[in-house]
Amino acid sequence: MDYTLDIGAVTRNLEPLFQGLAVTLQLTVAANIIGITAGFGLALLVLSRFAVLRVPAMLFVEFFRCTPAIVQIVWFFYCVPMLFNVFLGPVTMGILALGMNLTAFNAEAYRAAIQAVPKEHLDAGIALGLSPTQRVLNIVLPQALRASVPVLLTNGIGTFQQSALVAIVGVQDLMYQGKTLATQTYRPIETFTIIALFYLAVSFPVSQIVGYLERRRGLAVR
Amino acid sequence: MNAMSRDTALVRITDLHKGYGPNIRVLRGLNIEMKPGERVVVIGPSGGGKSTLLRVVMGLEEIQGGAITFAGQPYISADGRKTRIDTEVRKKIGMVFQHYTLFPHLSVLQNLTLAPCKVVGEPRAKAEERGRAILARFGLEAKADAYPSQLSGGQKQRVAIARALMLDPQLMLFDEVTSALDPELVAEVEQVILNLAAQGMPMMMVTHDMWFARNVASRVIFCAGGVVVEDGPPEQVLGDPKEERTREFIDRVFHIKG
Repeated sequence: MDYTLDIGAVTRNLEPLFQGLAVTLQLTVAANIIGITAGFGLALLVLSRFAVLRVPAMLFVEFFRCTPAIVQIVWFFYCVPMLFNVFLGPVTMGILALGMNLTAFNAEAYRAAIQAVPKEHLDAGIALGLSPTQRVLNIVLPQALRASVPVLLTNGIGTFQQSALVAIVGVQDLMYQGKTLATQTYRPIETFTIIALFYLAVSFPVSQIVGYLERRRGLAVR
Repeated sequence: MNAMSRDTALVRITDLHKGYGPNIRVLRGLNIEMKPGERVVVIGPSGGGKSTLLRVVMGLEEIQGGAITFAGQPYISADGRKTRIDTEVRKKIGMVFQHYTLFPHLSVLQNLTLAPCKVVGEPRAKAEERGRAILARFGLEAKADAYPSQLSGGQKQRVAIARALMLDPQLMLFDEVTSALDPELVAEVEQVILNLAAQGMPMMMVTHDMWFARNVASRVIFCAGGVVVEDGPPEQVLGDPKEERTREFIDRVFHIKG
C-alpha cells in the first residue's frame, strides 16, 4: 500500500472537530439528564401494581430494547415531524431520541437494582416498625440507587458513543464533522482515527471509574 | 397490673392456620400461651412451621385463620380473607433473623438509630448516645462507625440484636440467629442472648442448637406438622419427652453424641 500518513491534514483542522465534540457532549449530557430522571420514574411505573401504569411502561421499555438505536433515531427524525406536526432543531431532536432510548435502558437498571434489594431487609424494616414509605425511602432506594450507579454510567457512556448515529440525520456532532473533514481533505484514515481517539479519550476514563466503583462495591457487599 | 379479667398471657396464639398458596399448609391450628418472662424455644423438624410461627408473631405473614393477642390486646386476626395486624402492637416486638439483615449502606450506629429516629421521633443525639451505650454493653463500641461489610458474622448478629433492642421491645424473637455463623462465632452471639435472658427479657426463638436451647429456655415447645406436639420445661421435653414424635426427634438430634 502506497499511502503516506498526513496527520497535519487533520490537526490543522481541529476546530470543527472540537465544535463537533461540543455538540456530542451536549447531546450526551442532555440525554443523560433525561435518562437518569425519566428512567427512574419509568422504573417505578414498570414496578407498579397497577396494570394501567405497568403495561404501557413495559411496552415503552421493550420497544427501545428490541429495536436498533439507528432505526429509533431515523424513525424519530422523519416520523415525529410528519405525524405530530412538531418541528424542532436537529440537536433537540437528537437529544430527545437519545434521551428516550437511554430512559428505557436506565429504567431497566433501576428496576433490577430495586428488585435486587433482599426481601429480608424489608422484613427487618417491618420488625423495626418502619412504615411502607419509610422502608422504601430508607432501605430500598438508598441501596438500589447505589447499586444502579455503575450501570447508569455504563449506559450513559453507551449513549455518548451511540450519539454518533445522529450524524446520519444531519446533526453536526463529532462524527458529522469528521465525515465532512474526511471528504474535504481526502484523509479518511487520519480523520477517522483521530475521531476514534476523541471518543476513546472521553469513554475510557468513565469506564475506568465504572470498574473502580464495581470493585469497591464488590468489596462492600461481601 | 390490673388483674381483674385481664389476660395474663404475654402472647396468646389461638388456632393459628397459615399456608403458602392453596396447597401448602404450614400451621394447622396451633395454640400457644406464653406468659410474661418466659423464654420459649421452639424446636422441631424442618418444615414443621417453626420459622413461620415466628414470622407470623412478628406480623410479617398473612394468616388464614386464628388470632394472636399481645399483653391482652388484639394483635393479629384472620378477618375473612384479609389479615388484620395492629401495627402499634407490632412495634412492641423485636426480631433478629438468620441472615443478619443489617442495612449495608448505613454504619453500625446508623443501623441502630434509624428506627428510633424515624419511628419514634427520638432526637438523633439521644438515639446515638443510647446506641453507643448498647454497643458498649455488647463489646462493640469500637465498631460504631464501621459498616456491616467490615464486621464478622458474629459481630453483625450482635449489632442486629442491639438494633432490635433500641426500640425497647417487650418480646424478642430470634429466628435461627446462629445458623449462618461459623462455629467459632456462635458462642459470642449466644452469650448476648443469655445475658438478655438473665435480665428477664421475654423471648421466643427457633434454634437447632439443643445445648443452647437447654441453657436459655424456660420452656420448650416441640412443633411438628404445624401443631404443638409437646410443651414443657426444657429438662422434660429435651431430656425425657413424653410424646413418641418428640422422642424420635430428640434421639435423632443427639444421635451423634452417642
